[in-house]
Amino acid sequence: MILLAKLALGMAGVGLAGAGVLCGGGLVHVRVIEKEPQGHHINVIAPAMLAPIAVHFAPRRELGHAAREIQPYMPVVRAALDGLRDTEDVVLLEVKAPGEHVQVSKSRGSIVVDVEDARETVHVSAPVRALSSTVEQLAAATSNPL
Amino acid sequence: MRETMRRRTRIAMVLCLLAAGLMSFVTPATAAPAERYLHVNVQDPTKGGSVNINVPLSMAEKILPAINNHDLHDGKVSIHNAEMNDVDVRALLDAVRTAPDNEFVTVKDKDSDVRVAKSNGNIIVHVTDKKNREQKVDVTVPLKVVDALFSTAKNDELDVAAALRALSDAGDVLLVTVHDSSQKVRVWVDSRNTQD
Repeated sequence: MILLAKLALGMAGVGLAGAGVLCGGGLVHVRVIEKEPQGHHINVIAPAMLAPIAVHFAPRRELGHAAREIQPYMPVVRAALDGLRDTEDVVLLEVKAPGEHVQVSKSRGSIVVDVEDARETVHVSAPVRALSSTVEQLAAATSNPL
Repeated sequence: MRETMRRRTRIAMVLCLLAAGLMSFVTPATAAPAERYLHVNVQDPTKGGSVNINVPLSMAEKILPAINNHDLHDGKVSIHNAEMNDVDVRALLDAVRTAPDNEFVTVKDKDSDVRVAKSNGNIIVHVTDKKNREQKVDVTVPLKVVDALFSTAKNDELDVAAALRALSDAGDVLLVTVHDSSQKVRVWVDSRNTQD
């Protein structure tokens, strides 16, 4: 009985440690709320570390097109993400119009995009570091075809 | 023995205090310079809309050299059709730099008034559109930024990256204001990360 308890404790510890490692890189948060009566409410919170891993193991054939598209822009994307990593929290862009509000900001190491209009509310946040790794993995998809 | 320990403790405490005092003097001198931001604010009261952009200059300095597209290469812009073949821009700038504050150019025609002046180390351009009496454009550019802009070896290039670096070193400055009947546009640089 005690042995089983120890095993369960050990497994729970490993699980917690794993979750800690996974979440250590921050979380990607996507929330979409459609304002129609039957509108969808989508709320996804996932460890950011999974994004570059998912891209790494995704079929190269499927990623090839996106990878080729992004290649010419990689120097700019790298420079932008590098610059963003080093800057303090800031609202980079805010657009206000009657019934509409768009805001792009850097907050606590993440890029945060908030869009609010008459039809839906969208919130996306992703850690800059994870974005960097994901984009690099995506760009590498053309150079290492499986 | 105990007396020796006490004395050593006292000496250690005094040294710690001295070190702390020195650190308080040294830290401001070695602290990283405050981040500076390029702000753009567009207000359209007639439509009730606004656009605010806040770009850290350090980020812009990193991104700009990475863009290689059309006439923008390595942070420099080629100006092929500027028709400046017969104008020695550097000599012109040197003359402006050494001249006292003054209004250099005044153009008045039926469509617009244009004034170019030098004031407190800045080049100031005022344009008033007579067709649309409410449209006014004011541009203020520190001379250091203009110098940096023309600091390339080639005559048909503007070094925008160098101008951004010079802008980082310049003080708070209101670069551009545009007023017309419907919109107000302001572009400025300061060390605040908001427009409030």
